[in-house]
Amino acid sequence: MVTKPKKVKITKAESPTIKIGDLVIEIGEIEEDTWGEPLGPSPKPSWTELREWDKKLLNRYEPFYSPTCDMCCLCSYGKCDLTKDRKGACGITQRAQQARLILLECVIGAACHGAHARHMLEHQIERLGADYKIDLGLNIETEAPIYRTVIGKKPETLGDLLEGMEYAEREIQNLLASVHTGQEGDNLDLESKAMHAGMIDNLVKEIADLAQIVGYDFPKGDPDAPLAELGYGSVDKKKPLILFIGHNVAPGAEVITYAEAYGKADKVEIAGVCCTAHDLQRRDKSAKIIGPLSEQIRFVRSGIADVIVVDEQCVRTDILEEAMKVKTPVIATNDKMGLGLPDRTDDDPEAIVDDLVNYRIPGAFIHKPEKVGEVAVKVAERIAAKRAEFKGRALPEEEELKAEAARCVSCEKCQRACPVNLHISAALLEAAEGSFERLASLRKLCVGCMRCESACPRDIKIVSLMEKAAEGETYSQSYKIRVGRGPILDTEIRNVGAPIVFGEIPGVVAFAGCTNFANGAQEVAEMAEEFLKRNFIVVTSGCAAMAIARYKDENGETLYERYPGIFDAGGLVNVGSCVANAHILGAAIKIPYIFARRNLRANFEEIADYILHRVGAVGVVWGAMSAKALSIGTGLNRWGIPVILGPTGTKYRRLYLGRKDVPEKWEIYDAKTGEKLVTDPAPEHLAYVAESKEEAMVAIAKLVMRPNDTTKGRQIKLAHYIDLHKRYFGTMPEDIHLYVRTESDIPFNLKEVIMEILREKGWKERKIPDPTMLPRLIMKKKEAGK
Amino acid sequence: MRATSWRLTMEAGPTKAKPVNADFAARIIKQASRPALAIGARITEHERLIEFVERLSRAGVAIIATAHAIRYTSERGIPAYKAGVVEATHLLTDPDWEGFDGKGKPDLLIVFAINLDLENQTFQTLKNFSDVKTLSIDRYFMVNATYSFPNLTEEAWLAQLDELCQKLGV
Ligand code: SF4
Ligand code: SF4
Ligand code: SF4
Repeated sequence: MVTKPKKVKITKAESPTIKIGDLVIEIGEIEEDTWGEPLGPSPKPSWTELREWDKKLLNRYEPFYSPTCDMCCLCSYGKCDLTKDRKGACGITQRAQQARLILLECVIGAACHGAHARHMLEHQIERLGADYKIDLGLNIETEAPIYRTVIGKKPETLGDLLEGMEYAEREIQNLLASVHTGQEGDNLDLESKAMHAGMIDNLVKEIADLAQIVGYDFPKGDPDAPLAELGYGSVDKKKPLILFIGHNVAPGAEVITYAEAYGKADKVEIAGVCCTAHDLQRRDKSAKIIGPLSEQIRFVRSGIADVIVVDEQCVRTDILEEAMKVKTPVIATNDKMGLGLPDRTDDDPEAIVDDLVNYRIPGAFIHKPEKVGEVAVKVAERIAAKRAEFKGRALPEEEELKAEAARCVSCEKCQRACPVNLHISAALLEAAEGSFERLASLRKLCVGCMRCESACPRDIKIVSLMEKAAEGETYSQSYKIRVGRGPILDTEIRNVGAPIVFGEIPGVVAFAGCTNFANGAQEVAEMAEEFLKRNFIVVTSGCAAMAIARYKDENGETLYERYPGIFDAGGLVNVGSCVANAHILGAAIKIPYIFARRNLRANFEEIADYILHRVGAVGVVWGAMSAKALSIGTGLNRWGIPVILGPTGTKYRRLYLGRKDVPEKWEIYDAKTGEKLVTDPAPEHLAYVAESKEEAMVAIAKLVMRPNDTTKGRQIKLAHYIDLHKRYFGTMPEDIHLYVRTESDIPFNLKEVIMEILREKGWKERKIPDPTMLPRLIMKKKEAGK
Repeated sequence: MRATSWRLTMEAGPTKAKPVNADFAARIIKQASRPALAIGARITEHERLIEFVERLSRAGVAIIATAHAIRYTSERGIPAYKAGVVEATHLLTDPDWEGFDGKGKPDLLIVFAINLDLENQTFQTLKNFSDVKTLSIDRYFMVNATYSFPNLTEEAWLAQLDELCQKLGV
């Protein structure tokens, strides 16, 4: 007889043995931790478990697609033309194809941060042991807000974090599988999966940064983290210089450790480009940041570096070729990029040094960070004198510059290749006549991509000529930046939780991401300054944090010198590298946890719902370029944080846009009464592209509004929105009636004029709800405030 | 007339813009029942650009001022709708959208003076996800529009814009 099988489901076991009648079940792994919080609905969620949340977001914030390519060449069934209503041979539509590419990029981003985290975590476990405690000091009890929410556990040791890595790796594999021909074909499910990848990305970044903070004793949320140096002018060019490029600080940290142990710390310069540089400074504040990604090839060409150590992510793949032109050996240190170099990991360090110093090999692949420490310092010391003719002298002389510029035939192929559309030939024409100002001025707008040189039929080294023209300014300037402080303190969250949720601190603006700017880096600093003056909390990380540092006021001070590093109104908080920007999201998560006493444990939806409706935070990634930046941003979107991209961000192919003209899209529940009602379109968009800094600033002021703002908070936010709108657009906002809920929301000094507008629009007073999109939270509201 | 994309990497696929001159562009605009012009942050690239916006507005073309271009239209008293370029484009992909004035959706979007990447992506969205025809009157050949001016020197571009307005009687 066939009977229907009976199912026994055990989600959590308190003891290793469970007895059901005569049946005895032994459980292998026991939930055992010191965290008393009850387990929420989604520990280590698969995509399916959070799909409904994503669908809610995607219903309100419709995906907006903008293909960069109309075709698909993923499999040999194709190439397929997907323009408009056409379909691929596998049946895929253009819309789904765009979403599939978005998912692919998000998976690449999450895999990059995941592999980085795995490498860093295993390296720290090897150094310190799996039982090494995660201790971020007395002011940080919530050490891993993302981990706690997603995994549902409180990690106490480095070894505990491995569980999070295993979860992430399993999910990344599943998500990547969805991209294959003949798998997911629904654009909304693909978007939901991209959000899942983004959330995983956020999680693994937190793991990576926690591992390096405790392993290398980085600042643990110190608001007074010291000021440090940035810029070409900050390095002592007479000393042997080791240049680090990439994101994984393990080899760099070992170089510093070696230099300290052998009395070399004062004898060699340690400098970096991109996020590794941030983390070098977190390890030792005397390390120098050369600048963001855009400076990579320019600094290499300057010849100042005596040895280049590359780790992973955002390293130019032609780095070896460029380094060899100025006789700088390269050490590759990470299995993500071997650069075709011989693997010398197991060789005697002296033998490697000898081969590099005598140019028997152009570089070496050494994937043991400690060995890199010894080799890099020794090579730098021994090779510096040998390559004196290149060190800082690799740029062309003025006469050469003129002669090279004169070879230009004004074909404009460089300009047509240039992403910023720079009028290079006109500047070269003037340079050929001995006038270099115009060429020098292009440097500020150039993103250092080298496409112009690659396109030039005359093989003119355009970027080097530009560099020579701007040499006077570039090589003398040094700037102050605050060392990346890592997490936000629980005590800071206690102070700002209420004013943020009630809207009295008008918002938290986070500037992050790469330097693929359409109008130069200065715009990021200008935007940051505008919001600092307005008492927003300004947070930053990565290349954007460096861009902010490269802007001085008339007194020669950077924003880091003028504003404190606290997470409070008017504070400028540099959290550090890209992986450290997990702490920005971490701060948003700590607000419902610490201030509103919402449970974190495996409670993703409730926390995201809280952030979406109550925490006025917005991310600005003005020059985003990488797949990592997309996955970070898509992850933030899933947690309810809107992101504004610069104009180049449109090439990511997808935004999430709200429709303020469609009231049904803004339906929520009032958690107090269960009533379904239409709330204000706030935040209006989840992923938005602004064309100009002016548009971005107005958008920031609007996107920090939240349905839960108190009337006092809304007054303050509206006052900023209206003021910025009038200043940059010259007019009153046309949608003001959508953001005034009651007369008490209206800023006092604008009462008359706004009431007039409201009358014209037929405005009616609306209720301020206790907003949620989750029916299960109705009537379960807990009291805010501890 | 033959034309290649100003930035070669903007070529997205087999469906490419038809290169047109001012005379042809004027005919396309006249044939459209609800033409609209989107302008953006590059409106300050040349001092005469705002003059052409004013003339096109007088010719009955609805103006959509994106980014901070609204500042320049309102200074000159040119009536304009204000929206982000991605917001306006998003609305244009909705078959049920009734237009900014509620009287119907534009059937032709004319574009110039927007950041080139953003301008190109706008054409890409509308080419793939709408029935709205697009016309670029920028100085670069925008290969993903339905119709586009070819690549022009600044002088020739301004002359074409002037001729276009004249053909429209403004
Ligand atoms: S994956 Fe589909 S659309 Fe792409 S090439 Fe293959 S069959 Fe064509
Ligand atoms: S390196 Fe600079 S000038 Fe050359 S194409 Fe890139 S952005 Fe343009
Ligand atoms: S591609 Fe070379 S030759 Fe042509 S305009 Fe540019 S610099 Fe001159």
